[in-house]
Amino acid sequence: MSRLPGFLRRTFSPHNEEKSSDESAPSSSPSSSHHSSSNDNDVDDDDGRTHSCATTRTTSTATVASTTTTTAPIVLRRGGSGGRQLRAVAFPPLPGKIIGGDDDEDGGEGGRGMGEGGGIDDDEYDGGKKAMGAGGGEGGGGGGIIGSSNHAVFPSSSSSSSSSSSSPMTMPAVPKTYRERQFDAILSSPIASLRELRKLAWNGVPLHMRPIAWKILLGYLPANAGRRETTLRRRRDEYRDAVRRHYDIPDNSRTNAEQETLRQVLVDVPRTAPDVPLFRDPRVRRCLGRLLYVWATRHPASGYVQGINDLATPLLAVFVGERLGCGVVVVDGPDDDGVDGGCAGIGIADVLDGSRMASITDGMMEEVEADTYWCLTSLLSGIQDHYTSDQPGMQRMVMRLEELVNRIDAELASHLRYTGIEFMQFAFKWMNCLLLREFQLPCVMRLWDAYLSEGDGGFEDFHVYVCASFLVHFSPTLKQMGFDELFQFMQNMPTDDWGDREVEILLSSAFVLSTLFGGSDAHLNVVRNTI
Amino acid sequence: MSTRADEEYDYLFKVVLIGDSGVGKSNLLSRFTRNEFNLESKSTIGVEFATKSIQTEGKTIKAQIWDTAGQERYRAITSAYYRSPMTYHVATLKIRGAVGALLVYDISKHSSFENVERWLKELRDHAEANIVVMLVGNKSDLRHLRAVETDEAMAFSEQHNLAFIETSALDASGVDTAFQRILTEIYRLMSRRNMAAEEGGNQPRLSTGQTISLNSENKPRKNCCQG
Repeated sequence: MSRLPGFLRRTFSPHNEEKSSDESAPSSSPSSSHHSSSNDNDVDDDDGRTHSCATTRTTSTATVASTTTTTAPIVLRRGGSGGRQLRAVAFPPLPGKIIGGDDDEDGGEGGRGMGEGGGIDDDEYDGGKKAMGAGGGEGGGGGGIIGSSNHAVFPSSSSSSSSSSSSPMTMPAVPKTYRERQFDAILSSPIASLRELRKLAWNGVPLHMRPIAWKILLGYLPANAGRRETTLRRRRDEYRDAVRRHYDIPDNSRTNAEQETLRQVLVDVPRTAPDVPLFRDPRVRRCLGRLLYVWATRHPASGYVQGINDLATPLLAVFVGERLGCGVVVVDGPDDDGVDGGCAGIGIADVLDGSRMASITDGMMEEVEADTYWCLTSLLSGIQDHYTSDQPGMQRMVMRLEELVNRIDAELASHLRYTGIEFMQFAFKWMNCLLLREFQLPCVMRLWDAYLSEGDGGFEDFHVYVCASFLVHFSPTLKQMGFDELFQFMQNMPTDDWGDREVEILLSSAFVLSTLFGGSDAHLNVVRNTI
Repeated sequence: MSTRADEEYDYLFKVVLIGDSGVGKSNLLSRFTRNEFNLESKSTIGVEFATKSIQTEGKTIKAQIWDTAGQERYRAITSAYYRSPMTYHVATLKIRGAVGALLVYDISKHSSFENVERWLKELRDHAEANIVVMLVGNKSDLRHLRAVETDEAMAFSEQHNLAFIETSALDASGVDTAFQRILTEIYRLMSRRNMAAEEGGNQPRLSTGQTISLNSENKPRKNCCQG
């Protein structure tokens, strides 16, 4: 862990320590245990947690800069590309300038992070970071998604009251937590505040609220509570109609292209998340095939592209979970699968194992399918050119990732170049399937809570930051590998034991990156042109 | 890891697996390199990669096998892997040109056989001119579902001057043979050309970088890094 680049180390250490302290002393005051534990060995961490936004950023910049600097001797020793690298070494002053600018205009950064639109003040930022810490610690231990997101994910002024209610972790019947009540308040108000919802959801949506939160964030359900029912009915009718017109027709009335699409979709449906029993359910497969086909025929500019099937799986699972009452009851019961311990009712694991599908009627399934279709449509409309001819969006993202890694971990970037592996070779899949091939579904859901809260850029800009954090997370390992090993490692990243905690660490370091580099395309271009 | 044991090799050949989606390319690769088969493997996105060394004619040949996505949409991107276009990158020496291609179809899906011609065109357009191509009829275990007769495929391969074999990644029949044969053929072709080069003096063909023979890890040369 100590060999992680500075900006990651800052966010990694405290979470681990908090976890142990939370678990060992659940009844003691969490706030005091946080402090005592995070004093351990990393001064930065303690500061980062309690200081203002500006301090946090400056700290991380300093470590980024130093990481960059340390690459110089190594690169020179290899003697590979002296001129190129020496210029890169000259960059560290740049982030300093970026930071200086940011400090003056925190509000301008607002849209990118925890807050939305209206800008983040220091308190909010700090509160958000705390939330990541607390949520992360508990989530890993067994609080699962509900547990982790219930706690302390709001401005710091109120975080103490919520963290003192750590009892939900040990009591069988739990009244709604402060955090759930906050979600309730937003979702049940006559007109939901999207801004508030995004702010809350970025830090994780409680399991049973995820379906409605996602639907609103994706614009499928209106913010106006009074119009939701009618909207749902109308959209589901529309979808049923589309199925009738596009899918339930004889094959000989399909065009050649449509027949090819259907063939490809039917080849891919059984290969979609085949390791998840839910997706082996015949009804789920039928509904997946149908909605993919209908989407493809109605979006001919892109059509069906392999990988879109993957993108439908979190949506489908969340909406099936909705019908099963996933996450409604929260009880003690940590389990160590890191998936969703703590649910006595139905947890994500119960949804994904498909064992409860018998209680889902065909009518329900039809609605799940329609909801999935519209939400997928909305998601894809935000990243259209990822799947159009030649996939320009994909190429753009891969290029951006490479630029970013050049900046934040020049040593790794130069090692990758040295071995000859190309970003396109491993990161194409990360972009095309939005890391669905790299993570288990519950992790992806947590990731998407944040992506959806990011607004338009979530599945593109912010995703690139997440990918950069993800890659750099493995930097020490990767730097030991040659081409063959690297390639095979990247094909199967070791994330099987990852849970919400790890995803939240990833999210928070991605957030740090986005504040450093967000909106600074020009700076990235400097790198590109110089290299 | 299978790559560990075979650091020592005389030749390194890059071979690509191409063909329609769902014909079993990934399973041919995993059967050959890891002796694994997965009935419900996920579709390949982009490229995947594995290596294995074999012995032929007293030489150790390391095969670097690239598995590509089958969907037509991806051809623009996968074609980059036949021949790396990113010349500014170092060390593509090791993977520069594919010297062999296994063109796979599914014997139970006639359409995948019909598309073989399109894949051949793809190779003509993007791959090295002297690439060795082998036509592979996979899923030979599906006897009751056979839609492409062996004779038909054999006639086609003769007509197009391709090697031909039927395989089953599921029951492993023919898989090792297929890889062994194409690698041996590449080796012979290369030896012949090397000999021709020696006899003919300064033949430029050797420096095209199609085949790379080396005894140890190939180190990128300094001047490659500046591009």
